[in-house]
Amino acid sequence: MAKLQTFVTGNGDERRTLVVVFLRGGADGLNLVAPLDDDGYYKARPRIGIARKDAVPLNGFFGLNPLMKDLEPAWKDGLLSIIHQAGSEDTTRSHFEAQDLMEHGGVVAGGWLGRFLRFRNGAPAGALSAVALGRELPECLRGAPSATVIQSLDEFSLGGNSTKLQRQLAGLYGLESGPLGGAARDTLSAIERIANLRAKPYLPSNGAEYARDEFSQGLRQIARLIKARVGLESASLDLNGWDSHLNQGAIMDPRIRNLAEGLASFTKDLGDAMATTSVVVMTEFGRRVVENSAFGTDHGRASVMFVLGGGVTGGKVFSKWGGLKEELLEGPGDLPVVHNYRNVLAPVLQRHGAGTDFSKIFPDFTVEPMAIYG
Amino acid sequence: MNLTRRNFLQAGGATALLASVGCDKIPSALKSLLPPTSASADGPFRPPTSDEIDPVSHILNRVSFGARPGDYERVRALHADADQAAALFLERQLEPEKIDDAFAAYSVRRLETLVEPLGELFEYKEKVLLDELIRATLLRAINSERQLYEVMVHFWSDHFNIDPSKGDAKWLKVADDRDVIRKHALGKFSDLLSASAFSPAMLWYLDGRVNRRSKDSDKPNENYGRELLELHTLGVHGGYSQKDVMEAARCLTGWTVRATEQSRFDIGKVEFNPRQHDKGRKTLLGHEFPAWPDGLSADEQQQRGSDEVLTVLKLTAEHPATAQHIATKLCRRFIADEPPATAVAAVTQAFRKTDGDIRSALRALFSTPEFREARGGKFKRPFHFIVSALRATGAETDAGQPVVDFLLRMGHAPFHYPTPDGYPEEASPWMGSLLWRWNFAVALAEGRVGGTKIKADMLLKAFGSDAGLMAHLLGRKPTATETSAYHESGAGLALMLAAPSFQRC
Repeated sequence: MAKLQTFVTGNGDERRTLVVVFLRGGADGLNLVAPLDDDGYYKARPRIGIARKDAVPLNGFFGLNPLMKDLEPAWKDGLLSIIHQAGSEDTTRSHFEAQDLMEHGGVVAGGWLGRFLRFRNGAPAGALSAVALGRELPECLRGAPSATVIQSLDEFSLGGNSTKLQRQLAGLYGLESGPLGGAARDTLSAIERIANLRAKPYLPSNGAEYARDEFSQGLRQIARLIKARVGLESASLDLNGWDSHLNQGAIMDPRIRNLAEGLASFTKDLGDAMATTSVVVMTEFGRRVVENSAFGTDHGRASVMFVLGGGVTGGKVFSKWGGLKEELLEGPGDLPVVHNYRNVLAPVLQRHGAGTDFSKIFPDFTVEPMAIYG
Repeated sequence: MNLTRRNFLQAGGATALLASVGCDKIPSALKSLLPPTSASADGPFRPPTSDEIDPVSHILNRVSFGARPGDYERVRALHADADQAAALFLERQLEPEKIDDAFAAYSVRRLETLVEPLGELFEYKEKVLLDELIRATLLRAINSERQLYEVMVHFWSDHFNIDPSKGDAKWLKVADDRDVIRKHALGKFSDLLSASAFSPAMLWYLDGRVNRRSKDSDKPNENYGRELLELHTLGVHGGYSQKDVMEAARCLTGWTVRATEQSRFDIGKVEFNPRQHDKGRKTLLGHEFPAWPDGLSADEQQQRGSDEVLTVLKLTAEHPATAQHIATKLCRRFIADEPPATAVAAVTQAFRKTDGDIRSALRALFSTPEFREARGGKFKRPFHFIVSALRATGAETDAGQPVVDFLLRMGHAPFHYPTPDGYPEEASPWMGSLLWRWNFAVALAEGRVGGTKIKADMLLKAFGSDAGLMAHLLGRKPTATETSAYHESGAGLALMLAAPSFQRC
């Protein structure tokens, strides 16, 4: 029997929140985290490569795109883990196919996050356990026990007469013995928390300031929900437009800036609460190693994943770099996938749902969780 | 203004709905589709008057997706005795083919994918197919006169659950819904099972299509074989062994479906490839399948492949544990989360005696004292809650994304359950959905659900009084507490839809 007092928080006392950021369009991992010591990199990208002097130094070998400088504090504080050559087994290099498979977690019904929320151990999911910022449900959340697509907090309202109505609901449900009465009490308390939240303008903590773009504003809403303790277990949001076939800089630079600024503000705002928060950044595939004639890159294989949050082995780039020599590349000259994305997600899911049965989350794949936690 | 029943239906109920599903004028022929009028056609509706849920309210709650304005009165008028009236309604519902349902058909007429042949489905975008299928499911549940049939369609959709997000099931589930679930929902269980076994969507969903043994080292894919025994037929404690799972899978090797990735022709066609079939000796549930002799002709091999599957399906469909398993699930749906053993026994017996006739099983179920007495005690699942609220308020709705969004928030959108066991029937997994139920109740009452409208003032007038409206929503007279809460809340309709009693059926 479920513990009723935990319905509001869904995941019980742990109150851990997993934020999934999907970079749609195939984000070029080599332009986010560049192998500065690999001559092959500069040979392949004579015009669009990141110069060592410009990069944000990571571990000597790799450097961050200079537009991601905002993430340097998180890196230095040990909150950011980078997994290079991450990706899926899909070789179609089709956005649709690759996104679909990655969000489902294989040729499987439902999304990996949806299945996780349904089958993880612990108390049942609450009404606000899974929120997707945007307009439609991302496929990774498919099959979740509750999945709310919102654009703003206003959508949680109980209408104009809510105070009187709530009082009467409390009265009627107060007569209910058993699970329904308990569920109603928890629900009323969640409504109260949301109402309090909406009543006053949101002031981010620690001097954090969010940029005005949609991605940063989405993260701001998520931070607000996390702090309100309404039982948010997972939040999903997309950052679109990474398909940089031509003029890579023009296409990628603004997005890289959005990504770094948003994540940096979020980290600053949450402060200590980052200890119980994880942000995973993923994309369907990376790009061809060699730049094309139009200053762009074409669809490739491996890219990079970021895990930001409490407990990670921060300040580390997980990679088994073999170099960018042609014979080491895959197909038409793509960085091969060394770290299957599921092996990156697995330890994060373990942290958010101890004892989770991975055969239910990734039924067509034998998971070998990466040691991204110390 | 004294609003008549007929006026209400034309102005606030069905007619407005007609207008919402298409912009064209309502054909005059459709006027006859409005529910038949009773002797009280000129007066306001007469909702239930007893303190407890009476037999008529009970069946409308439990066997349909909830009473619309006028439904109670219409059924109650079938016989002077309420039990007899309920029984007559049930008997009619058990013969849906005799119930004119042109209005429900009319409400889904624009959803053209529903009638596309299997092969043509691949011409559509997956999202269009899923959207139309979900909308059709909602519209039929809301509008159909064949309520028990729609409830059973819902039941079997869970029993033979397919989440179409896997592979070609994205396209093929539309055909499965039509040619498997809807076709056999009140037919013979063995026909339903066999249609499901050969359904290309099921072959995708449970990997039957890749269950093959082309060489000695190939291991059969047990996915379908396991669920066939565990979920579709005998049940997890049905007395089969792990060896039986393996043997069932071996019997079914070689059945596959043409996939989009391989072929442009006959996509979705189910076929038997003898070269991928395990031709060795097998034993399933005590029945022996001898090894195939050498030198069989191509036709003989096809015949033998079919015979083997049909034998597997016969062995499982007719197994005594299957009758018990299906009876238990039916009793859980219609009686209680913990189904009473005596009722399960009666339904099991009827199922067995009639070789798995679903109507006979239901008839037996509805005549058990346990069914008659179990009033108002089942927690509605979110789909049932939403549909019953739309029906109760005579809402006009296009069943579009805003309604589906509420179902997603409550984790109960049709065709979104990832694993083959289908959405749970019991109350406990749904307890976290109250916030969105209340939200929906308020949004519906305030006219804030996109694509959906109600005429709250006309609804109230149609029942003559607040007490009448409350009795309609509750299926009985309101208690003093409910009456006072209704008036104090400042949002009586929303409160009643959000109240504990409306969450139950």
